[in-house]
Amino acid sequence: MSTLTAERTTAAPADRPRAPKRRLRGEAKLHPLVWVFVLAVMGFSLIPFYWLVNTSLKKGASLSQGELFPSQPTFENYLVVFQNAEFLLALRNSVIIAVVTTTVALVFASFAAYALARLKMRRKAMILTLILSVTTFPAIAIAAPLFSIWREIGLYDMLLGLIIPKLTFALPLAIYTLTSFFKEIPRELEESAYMDGATPFTTFRKVILPLAVPGLATTAILVFISVWNEFLLAVTLTTSPEARPVPVAIAFFSGTSEFDQPLGTISAASVIITVPLVILVLVCQKRIVSGMTAGAVKG
Amino acid sequence: MATKTLAPRRGPVRGGNGRDQAERRLAVRMTAPSLVLMALVAAVPIGYAAWLSLNQYSVRTAGLSRFVGLENYVTALSSPEWWASFGQTFLFAGLSVSLELVLGTAMALLLNLAFRGRALLRTVVLLPYAIVTVVSAITWQTMFQPNMGLVTNVLSALGLPGGDVVWLGEHGYAMTVIVLADVWKTTPFAALIILAGLQVISAETYEAAELDGASKWQAFVHITLPLLRPAIVLAAIFRTMDALRVFDLPFVLTRGANGTESMSMLAYTQLRENRLVGEGSALSLLTFLTVMVVSVVYIRFAGGNIREVAKEEQ
Amino acid sequence: MDLIRPASPLQEDNAPSKAAAQRTALSGGAALSGRAARRRRAIAVAAVMAAGLVMSGCGGGAATQGAEKAAAADPASGDAATGSINVCGGKDASGIYKGTAEAFTKENGKVTAKYTEIGATTDEARTQAVQRLEGKSTECDIFVTDVIWTSEFASQGWLLDQTKLVEANRDRLIPSTVETTEYDDKYWASPFFTNAGLVYYQKDKVAKPETWQQLYAEAAKAPGNGYVYQGKQYEGLTVNFLEMLYSAGGEVLNDKGEVTIDSPQTREVLDFMSNGLRDGSADRAVLTYNEDPARLAYESGNFGYQRNWPHVYRLLNATPLAGSFGVAPLPAWEGGKASGVLGGWNLAISAHSTNQAGAVAFIDFATTPEWQKHVAMDYSQAPVNEAAYSDAAVLQKMPFAKELLASVKGAKPRPISPVYPQISQAIYKNVYAVLSGTASTEDAVKKMAEEITAAKASF
Repeated sequence: MSTLTAERTTAAPADRPRAPKRRLRGEAKLHPLVWVFVLAVMGFSLIPFYWLVNTSLKKGASLSQGELFPSQPTFENYLVVFQNAEFLLALRNSVIIAVVTTTVALVFASFAAYALARLKMRRKAMILTLILSVTTFPAIAIAAPLFSIWREIGLYDMLLGLIIPKLTFALPLAIYTLTSFFKEIPRELEESAYMDGATPFTTFRKVILPLAVPGLATTAILVFISVWNEFLLAVTLTTSPEARPVPVAIAFFSGTSEFDQPLGTISAASVIITVPLVILVLVCQKRIVSGMTAGAVKG
Repeated sequence: MATKTLAPRRGPVRGGNGRDQAERRLAVRMTAPSLVLMALVAAVPIGYAAWLSLNQYSVRTAGLSRFVGLENYVTALSSPEWWASFGQTFLFAGLSVSLELVLGTAMALLLNLAFRGRALLRTVVLLPYAIVTVVSAITWQTMFQPNMGLVTNVLSALGLPGGDVVWLGEHGYAMTVIVLADVWKTTPFAALIILAGLQVISAETYEAAELDGASKWQAFVHITLPLLRPAIVLAAIFRTMDALRVFDLPFVLTRGANGTESMSMLAYTQLRENRLVGEGSALSLLTFLTVMVVSVVYIRFAGGNIREVAKEEQ
Repeated sequence: MDLIRPASPLQEDNAPSKAAAQRTALSGGAALSGRAARRRRAIAVAAVMAAGLVMSGCGGGAATQGAEKAAAADPASGDAATGSINVCGGKDASGIYKGTAEAFTKENGKVTAKYTEIGATTDEARTQAVQRLEGKSTECDIFVTDVIWTSEFASQGWLLDQTKLVEANRDRLIPSTVETTEYDDKYWASPFFTNAGLVYYQKDKVAKPETWQQLYAEAAKAPGNGYVYQGKQYEGLTVNFLEMLYSAGGEVLNDKGEVTIDSPQTREVLDFMSNGLRDGSADRAVLTYNEDPARLAYESGNFGYQRNWPHVYRLLNATPLAGSFGVAPLPAWEGGKASGVLGGWNLAISAHSTNQAGAVAFIDFATTPEWQKHVAMDYSQAPVNEAAYSDAAVLQKMPFAKELLASVKGAKPRPISPVYPQISQAIYKNVYAVLSGTASTEDAVKKMAEEITAAKASF
């Protein structure tokens, strides 16, 4: 029932001109303790990442020294990664797979979420349970049958063959997140659209979607990253460098024998592949903040 | 009941039966692409695994199989390994998800504050989530390696306990590393969902509370937290589902030793390593059912938007 | 047997449709407009998927009689071979697989070989091989198989019987390596390159080990003398344990295939290993080590002995330890003789290969004494041909070739059984329980024997 109060309170600003005060909240005074917490959070996030970067700057014997700062930092690992044609191919594959999957997932999921959150529909509980069940199945048990089917229908070792299952398993997260967000959007805005004679679909496009931008941006980041990092399906459904995405390509990095793990190169590659994600986050994060308030004004 | 009283607010303005039907048709059309795709790609393998779990397949002769009914389930449910992994998986999920939710909420509150460097903080906080799981597992493994790891070295240098512990080789310690690695990597997920939830709480709500003389803490407990509930429940559902299916972290870090074998690992061992396809599929299905039950319980009892949607019968 | 094979049908079919598929994928949004078309397509896909499941034949059906009915490879067929073959296996870290395929293609002139990496790790390579073999795929003609997969693959009827081929090549193969390809009195693969454990030791700190007892005693003398090995709960622990068990005269299965692991020798070795962890001969961290962490720990200079594979030699030489370490074959058990466990990779011909003659020609080439020298010189792998070990050029690259040969010749295969993975799990899980102190030797031995017996009874 708490959500109902949420709806009422959030509905309020739509009726009034937006108070310019919003930005001031928090900026006014950050308690020193808050700063301590900011530093703690940054430390927790960055220390393992630092260790990864540290490892990526070492090679040979210095990998076993455990130095907190590499005494002879080298960029050789990065060079090796960039000279690896298969890795660059994998980077391309991953970008294609992640962008396509995220885009299609957002379109499919926002449709489904709107229907679930707003439209009259039978058996919503059952549909929600079914959607959820898709992601609760252990991936190992899905990979093998998919392998057989994909080989029969010619999707094995192809980008599309990866996009389809990744899209499927990203959809539940996207649908649930978006349903939850659509639910939060005040009804009053839609109702005025209906008064103007808009159809439900137009309302969805013109009112709901713009208002849901923070939800969409959040969902985009979550889906993108989960697709980008997914390993098991990727490794089961591909065999050639032409179709391999990044996580699999990293697993294929090799030392001089089957037993040695090229820690330095693996770390360098992992650092490199965070760059596209950082860009994504920087692009999306503005939307997360501004979306809702901007939309409210428009309505 | 709730639906009745709220009738005027629910759904577009009613315009008789035709309008209703059009709306239902639209709803079906809008959900169809997702549902059809899921049915095709996920339902087929799941149904297939269900069939496999009712049979036994020979590991000695190709193609030889026999129908055994529920025998594989009986075998699994009467094995101490299953119950051990069941308990360990729930311990892991309980610890890591609760830490992730608390930390994630705190992070989200921070990220929602307007201060210089917020963009930087947002990026930094999300970095761990961007690391491929297997690589993050290797990183944590080396950090806790005796003599050459970051954590062990720093602890030893500071004279703190734990510097000479073989973390991944000891009961309790091994689970600690796995939980930490998971919290590190997936707290950003929870934080992001909760942050988006925070965005819909308006400043006016707080102002009203401040006028009433509520303290910051009171405002948080009585206003923010209840309003955040849908977002927190959502994060909890997906994090719990993932945590209960954990595989990569224990597989890389311990191979299931020292009380860290998870349900998915057990299924993997039977399915892939031992090629006991029937038993492995039964274990997969048991994992599936366990996770399903937990999620449904969450939705039913923890509330949030999803429960409201599920309750709507129109 | 069709000798002329159309170059990999799978690849050819895929080429055009792949491009088309990528186009479709890229215009994913556009797909939304043609709803009717999509519905039709969805139905079509559903039908194809259902058909796919049936065709892939996972649902049982008539059982083939496994190993007994397997067809045999004809050693003479290689000479007339033409067409192309596809060799499939794990990650080509040393470059040996691609290198061999290229050299073979050049030398043969009529058959072209290519190598396909089907898995990044040994586990994945096995999964991928199994998936292809179960699906009766013709994609791969030769599978590069880990020595421990032979009996499993052979019993399923997935491999061509290579008995005649191995008999014909017998003079050039080290007998212990041939043993790893045997199951049910037949040979199912040809050894390609082998592997055996070695002991690396710091000449400035410790003596070359003659017996395990001496090694452990020496390792306990000073903190910097410790011994590192592979003690994580995984296949490598089975290997480390069996190396000692075999040299102590113990065994897992006897010649008749009966479980004989419940023996005084097993208890002795387990007690010895766990005492070693307690008195500091071996660092407790070995409980978390597989091959690479063990090497890195040793490279830090804090240890006296390391058990590892030959590949470590080259890596150690690139560290400050170069020149100060020695290489020795695995030591003997006190009062017993030295033994060990064979690693390495074999070449097995898929029962569904469409160019068996080409595969025979490839195997013939890969096992020639001439090419076996390259196996050592160019790729630092252990040859399966004895003469290669005394070749001057090889010795220059592998100065420890003599020690390696001793280890290889004295080594034995791991238990030969179609359910080897389960047997190995029973070993490494219980050994680990003793080493980490969660089970007593007595309980662990009993449990090990029980679990192996149960595994052997698998349907």
